[in-house]
Order: sequence, then C-alpha cells, then structure tokens
Amino acid sequence: MKLTSALAAVVAVLAGATVVSGCASTPSSSSSAPGPLSVWIRGNGDSQKEYQDIFAAFTAKTGIKVTTFATLTDFETKVNAAAAGHNLPDLVVDDASQLGAFRAEGILQQVNRSSITGGDQLTDLAWTSAKGSDGNFYAVPFSAQANILLVNTNWLTKLGLTAPTTWADFVNVAKAFTASDPDGNGKADTYGVAVPGSTSRGYVSWYWSTFLWQAGGDYFHNSGNGKYTETIDSPKAVQAATWFENLFCTNKVVQPGALNDVTTDSNKAFSSGVAGLYFTGPYAYATMDATSIANKYTAVAPPAGPANGQTLAEGTDIYLMAGSQRTSEAQQLAEYMITPTAQTLGMTASPTATIVRLSVNRTVDAATVHKNDPRWQLAQQVYQRQGHYEPDYMPNWPAFRQATSNALNAMLAQCSDPATALHALGGQFTTLLKQQGVLAG
Amino acid sequence: MDVLDVPAATARPVRSRDRVGGRPRRRGRWRGRLSPWLFLAPALIAIGVFKFWPTVWGAYLSFFTVRPYLGNLWIGTANFARVLSDPDLRTALLHTGIDTVATVALSMMVGFGLALLLEGPARHLRILRTAVFLPVVTAMVVVAELWGTLLFPGRYGSVNGLLGDIGLGPFPFLSSAHSALASVILIQVWKSAPYDMLIFLAGLAGIDRDLYEAAAIDGAGAWQRMRTVTIPGLRPITTIVLTLGVIRGLRVFTEIYVLTNGGPAGSTQTAITYAYTAGVTNGDLGYASSIATVMLVITVIVTLLLRWWRGRVEAR
Repeated sequence: MKLTSALAAVVAVLAGATVVSGCASTPSSSSSAPGPLSVWIRGNGDSQKEYQDIFAAFTAKTGIKVTTFATLTDFETKVNAAAAGHNLPDLVVDDASQLGAFRAEGILQQVNRSSITGGDQLTDLAWTSAKGSDGNFYAVPFSAQANILLVNTNWLTKLGLTAPTTWADFVNVAKAFTASDPDGNGKADTYGVAVPGSTSRGYVSWYWSTFLWQAGGDYFHNSGNGKYTETIDSPKAVQAATWFENLFCTNKVVQPGALNDVTTDSNKAFSSGVAGLYFTGPYAYATMDATSIANKYTAVAPPAGPANGQTLAEGTDIYLMAGSQRTSEAQQLAEYMITPTAQTLGMTASPTATIVRLSVNRTVDAATVHKNDPRWQLAQQVYQRQGHYEPDYMPNWPAFRQATSNALNAMLAQCSDPATALHALGGQFTTLLKQQGVLAG
Repeated sequence: MDVLDVPAATARPVRSRDRVGGRPRRRGRWRGRLSPWLFLAPALIAIGVFKFWPTVWGAYLSFFTVRPYLGNLWIGTANFARVLSDPDLRTALLHTGIDTVATVALSMMVGFGLALLLEGPARHLRILRTAVFLPVVTAMVVVAELWGTLLFPGRYGSVNGLLGDIGLGPFPFLSSAHSALASVILIQVWKSAPYDMLIFLAGLAGIDRDLYEAAAIDGAGAWQRMRTVTIPGLRPITTIVLTLGVIRGLRVFTEIYVLTNGGPAGSTQTAITYAYTAGVTNGDLGYASSIATVMLVITVIVTLLLRWWRGRVEAR
C-alpha cells in the first residue's frame, strides 16, 4: 500500500509538472508578436463596454487595434501571474493605489510627464496619483474622485436641521438622527452615520483617512531621498482616532454591525434609511438613485475638521507595463484616453458605469457633462480644492492600510485608548517601512 | 490540503470489505494491476495538477520573498521564523483550534442526534432527511450572506426581532469581539451537522438488527441499547466523521471571510484568513505560503494522530 501510494504521488506530481512547464514555455512568444495592443482593466462587464467605446474610437482614429481583458475578481493576482510568466499586457488600467506595489514589483515603465501629449491639460493633483516615492511618474492618470458627504434630506427637514459643516455639527446631526426618530415610526431604529468598518481590503482605514487629514495628521513624514518615518501616532492622528472612536463608543451614532461592514453594507445602511450621514465617492450617486433614497438625499462638502476640510481622493491610473514590445502605440492609447473626447465618453457612454468619475483633464467640466447636475459640480470642486490622495507611492501601501485597519477595528471594537492603539501601530509602521526599504535614519 | 486525507478516511472500510467478500483474481496479472490505475488516472491527474503540485510549489515558495517579475529572492527559513514569532498568527491559530474543537464536537452531537431521530425507511423521514440535509448542498458563500442578514445586530435583524418578541436582546452576534467567534461556530454547526448526520445514518444502517433484538430480549432499555449496541457499532464511522470534521475545521475560511473577515478586533481571525490577507491584500506570497505550509504540516500530524487512535480503537 505504501509503495502504491508513493507511486501515485510521483505520477501525480510528474503529471502536474509537465502541465505547468508546458504552460510556462508558451508566453514569451506572444508578447513579441505584432498584433493588437493588449489592455487589462480592473472593472466589470458594464465598465468594459465603456472602455471598448473609447478603444473603438481610438482604433478608428489611428488604425491600432486593441484587445481587452476585464475583471474585478482577483485582478492583481492575475497581473502577478502574467508577471511571473513575463507575459504582461501592454497597458493596465487599475486603481492608483496599486502604483507603489506595481513599481516595487518592477512591472511598470517610467512615464516622462512632459512627453505625454495632452499631459499638460491634466491637473497637478491628478498627476500626484501617478507619482512614485522617488518623485518620478509611473502612470498616466485617467479618472479621479474625492469623498463627499451624503445626507438624508427627509430626516434633516423632519428634525429642522441643516447639513453639517464642522465636526461639531456632524456629531450633533448624527446624535439627532439616532435619538429623535427621524423616520417617525416610533421605534429607536435609526442611526447617525454609515461606516464601512471592516478590515476587509483596509476599508476602515480608507474611511478614517479623511478624518486623519482633517485633524492635520498624516501617515508619514517625508525625510527626503525617498525615505520616510511614520507619524501615525502623532497627537493630531490621536485626535482623529479619538473623534472617530467617540462616534462608536461615546455618542453611539454608527449603524450596528459596522465593524464587519464593507461598502455594499454601508451603502445599504444609507439607502434603506438605517443611517442618515455617509461619506462616499460621487460614484454612489448612481447607486443611490437606483434605490428608494433617490431624491431624498443631498451631497455636501465634507464637514471641516480642526485643521482643514481635506477629504480622501482616489483615482484610476493607466499603467504602461514593462516588457511591452509596442511602447509607442501603448503611449498613444494612453494619450488618447486623456483627451476630452475619450474622457467625456468615459463619463457618459453607459448610464450604469462611469469609468471616468471626474475628468483628470481640466478642460472637461463634470457638471456640463452630467447635464448640469449640481452634485457633480460639487464633487469636482471638492476634489480640486480638498482632495488628498493616500500615500499610494509607498512600495506596499496596502500593507500599511491593512495594519491601520486592524488597529482601528480592534480599537473601535474594544473602545480602547486611541493613543495606545496608534502607538502600537506606529511600531508596526516602522517595521513595515524597514521591510520595504524606505525607513529614514 | 483536504485531498490528502479523504483517501485515508475512506480507504480502510473498502479494503476490509474486499478482504471479507472478494476472491483473489489471478488472470491477466498486468492488466489487472494496471486497470485500476487507468480508471483512477483522470482523477489523479486532476488532483495532481490542481492540488499536489500547488502544495509542493507553495512549500517551495515558503523559502522566498516572492517577486513574480523580478525573480524570487531566497531568504532561507526567515518566513518560518516569522511564523513562529508572529503574535497575531498565534492568536489566529488559537481561534482555529477553538473553532475546530467546538465545531467538530457540536456538529457530531447534533448530527448523531438527528441521525437517531431520522433513521428509518418511512417516506416522511426521507422527506425530513432531505430537508435537514439542504444546508450541506447550499454554497457556503450564500449561507454566510444569509446568516449575516439574519444575525443583524439591531432590531431589524430577523433573529433579534424574534428574540425581541420574547423580551430578549438585541444581541450583537457577529458585531462584538466577545460573541463573533461563537456566532461563526454556530453557523458552521448548522451547515456541517447534517453532513455528519448522513454518515451516522450510513453507520446506523450497518448495525446488525439482531443485536438490538438480542439486547431487547436480554431486557436492555433504550438507553442501554444505545450505550452497548449503537455507540460501539458506530465507532469506525465516528473516527471518519471526526477526521473529516477536523480537516474541515482547520481550513475554515469562506464563512469567516464573508461574515467578518477576521474581525471585529481580530476575534474571528483564523490561520487561513490570516494567510489570505498576508498573501492577497499585503502581497506577501512567500509569508502566506509558509503559513499554509505550516497548516499543512499541522493537518497531516493531526490526521495521523487520529488514524493512530482509530487503529487502537478498532483493534479493541
């Protein structure tokens, strides 16, 4: 029996090895062959159609054909697999937050900002989402957005309140929404704030970063030469964490179960009238307008914190991948994707997907494109005046974001001392900075 | 990880039946020896490609900082040193242990109870058995999403709504670090107890009816019949249920990933969710591989211990 099972294992492993090595030998040939540009997109079916509209217009103009592959599921894992086979696509369209990680993996080509045709039409803020920790550019920005605050207007009217403009207002409105039965059903079943507090993909840290910047804090101090020290346990950061914790522990104005919730859940909490205040991106307009909360909510600029009114900015970047045999065609496509024509197509081609949330091109006005919708005008103003990107330039920013999420989620679950929690997190940050080779001193 | 152990759990009864009923066949010696392998080949190749090879490859990657494009960096046993010194992983392993022991014990008890209640050829029992078995054939992601909604920690939640009607709650369930692990365990029991029931039912069907009659004639009551006939008769089956349950428990992932992603405050973090976060969110595939490899070793050791124990029990 022992012999036969050993034999089986050997047969199985050999069979496996043959198949795997068979796969590994094929890729390199295709990347050198002339053919259409290969573009990989992190997005679902609807957004793929919008991208294809842009690419079709590009092909009609230049004659260069484009093939696309789009998925939301484990997109980066698939990019890694392509990298392992040295068979990367020519272009990748993905979140700006992948910049540092892609760069650390050596799979990006550097971009010369001044040689990008039309690059001068892009805003400086958008370009920061494409900047590496060494100050060079490693992508071309494609879409941008910043978080705004959604407020349930029915509840405001019912309680005779106005939308909050400061942290203090925010807490007062949240308390009233929780305690004063704004939906008038006679039950204590409403809450002030919808928060995606899960550690999944770093949600709670992502949400909290707005408050960190509004308190005047930041994740890192740039010591020059691409080296950093952590500032996550600074007094300002502690102030932001304390304020956030009070929403959960002292004022108790957050929807129940928030600490396991991802954005799908917090979207539902706002749209179904469980919570009345919600920080989210302008992409949520389409989501909310398709639910019963449509026309019963408004979008306002995020209430200002003690230091400023900054808010989380995010974006999508076009990455030119290493090993591409068609770099000039790839750059042409990237240049086309930032033209006003392509950007407008990206905002309007499909009613269900907006692959361009706010245009990175300063000549494209969001409100005009969206039929003078004042909410989009607000989104554009907030992004341009108050947008603040996460430190995506770190070699592995997601690792920092995950560590921050774990620390915040634990602090909120136990209502523990923010200073202690952030101090421990600071230690982890220093270890991570060292591991990633960017620790100063 | 599971395939390693499924043959271990099922091989023995098949062999013992062969020994009792089968006659040795000598014609066509080579063809006779080869044909089972040919029949097994499709499954073996699939298992080899999708299970064994990734397992071996994962163990190999444990010794590297994985960099898909630039080439992996050999770092020796540094990842394993990190496994041993990582306090969060230690907590995750503790949770995995608690989850496994509690889920296995409760599922077996509930499964055994259900098997006793639902044993028999009557039609209404067949319908009931099918109904009870439904959680097993429902996708775990669906089950987890539904339970997440049912256990909503406010008055809106169905469970809290019902409890509220009798003056209890609302309970936080998955949203408190104190009750999240217990809630996840209950959901796993709900899902896996019917599976255990099915195996117990098969075991009960295999017990010689004459033994019950003999015991009844000897004046044994229901409890005594259970203690002296049913439970000893189910011994081999019990070790199978136990082995499968332990393996299932050690690799618990889907329900936790969907319901809590290890939170709140890491209270439901298990070894596999921790490895997933390390590999996929933090992009540290080398470290994730070393955690998975350690889990493989733990699973193999536990399985071998169970087999050894089973051998002793059956030898009695």
